[in-house]
Amino acid sequence: MVIDRLVVPADPDEALELIREKRGVPLGGGLWLRMSGKRIGLAVDLSALGLEYIRDSGDSIEIGAMTSFREMEISGLLDERFGGLFSRVVGGVVGLQFRNMVTAGGTVAGKYAFAGLNAALLALGAKVVLAGEGERDFAAFLAESGTKPFLLEKIALPPRAAAGYSSLAITKGDFSILVAAAAFAGGTWRVAVGARPGAAMLSESAAAALGGQARPGAKAIEAAASAAATELTFSGDMRASSEYRREICPVLVRRALEEAIA
Amino acid sequence: MNATIVVNGAVERFTFESGDMLADVLRAAGYVEVKKGCDTGNCGACTVLVDGKPILSCSFLAARADGRAVTTVLGVEEEARRFASFLAAEGADQCGFCAPGFALTVIALSRELPEATEEEAREYLKGNLCRCSGYEGQNRAIMRYLEACNAR
Repeated sequence: MVIDRLVVPADPDEALELIREKRGVPLGGGLWLRMSGKRIGLAVDLSALGLEYIRDSGDSIEIGAMTSFREMEISGLLDERFGGLFSRVVGGVVGLQFRNMVTAGGTVAGKYAFAGLNAALLALGAKVVLAGEGERDFAAFLAESGTKPFLLEKIALPPRAAAGYSSLAITKGDFSILVAAAAFAGGTWRVAVGARPGAAMLSESAAAALGGQARPGAKAIEAAASAAATELTFSGDMRASSEYRREICPVLVRRALEEAIA
Repeated sequence: MNATIVVNGAVERFTFESGDMLADVLRAAGYVEVKKGCDTGNCGACTVLVDGKPILSCSFLAARADGRAVTTVLGVEEEARRFASFLAAEGADQCGFCAPGFALTVIALSRELPEATEEEAREYLKGNLCRCSGYEGQNRAIMRYLEACNAR
């Protein structure tokens, strides 16, 4: 990564204008971008915008875009509302120093397919709040391939959820071969699978198999697990074949569901 | 660009290019105790503390350190020397290249989680790679160092 010019705006409107009008590239943690070898004419550092927070707004839990993985990992509020989900999802990412730098917003805005966080946020029914545009459904946002510049302000989650997560990697801290997340919030189950290795996706048929019951039985869980593997598509890469991913998908979905209801 | 950074307690003014990383800026200014290993944000050799938190200086924009406190291993020399004696006692020091970043992360651990279990210590140190050893000596040294810190 080469940066010709770096600005650190303290005003969100100014940041948005630089991103929209001057083709400024917003910087989250910058770790992934740095590895890209890209040349960036104008980089917009978001670290002075006050977007580092995890808070309870009353009807939702909000995570500011510049909140680090480490802050999510050790947040008492997230732990209380989502039963340790976040520490399991982001706690295994590379090392502690790395997690002190990478941000929720970078992973969400970058729509990183390898990120367990994005699968977990899908399962939680998260919304993304874009500056000057308002709230968007994260699932729709993730599925779009548009290139219109935007500034992610925060991620909004339901006030609480029963949630579970399961992933498989060759070594600890490596990119996952596959991840599965499941959550029950507002009377609805959502089951998401990521690192397929394509972007995380919700499985509608898995959710249908679980119905509206908070504690589905073993049969419903098995049905949901195999439905996800049938419905979703998988590809091969250097870590695993598509067949292997399809084979382990029901196992990870089952584990995520069992954890969610435990 | 310019930045005013408090390095090891001393206020210093730095001038650098927009995209320069903290490790390069510090090394160019003579803080050569900051090592660069992988330069991809994975090995932990370049670890420094920013406002007390361990970060990877090879991937941390120097501009982001403006107005903040940066600690290299020489800023915690006494603790680092003390930890090094535990490392040596376990025969865990070999080439030493990873040691400054490693020692800083151990010191951060001793401050954040002084009662850490071995499992917690391993998790905390997962981002510090050592290509000489098998980590067992380091693990023993860390646990004995924490015990000694807590006994003080």
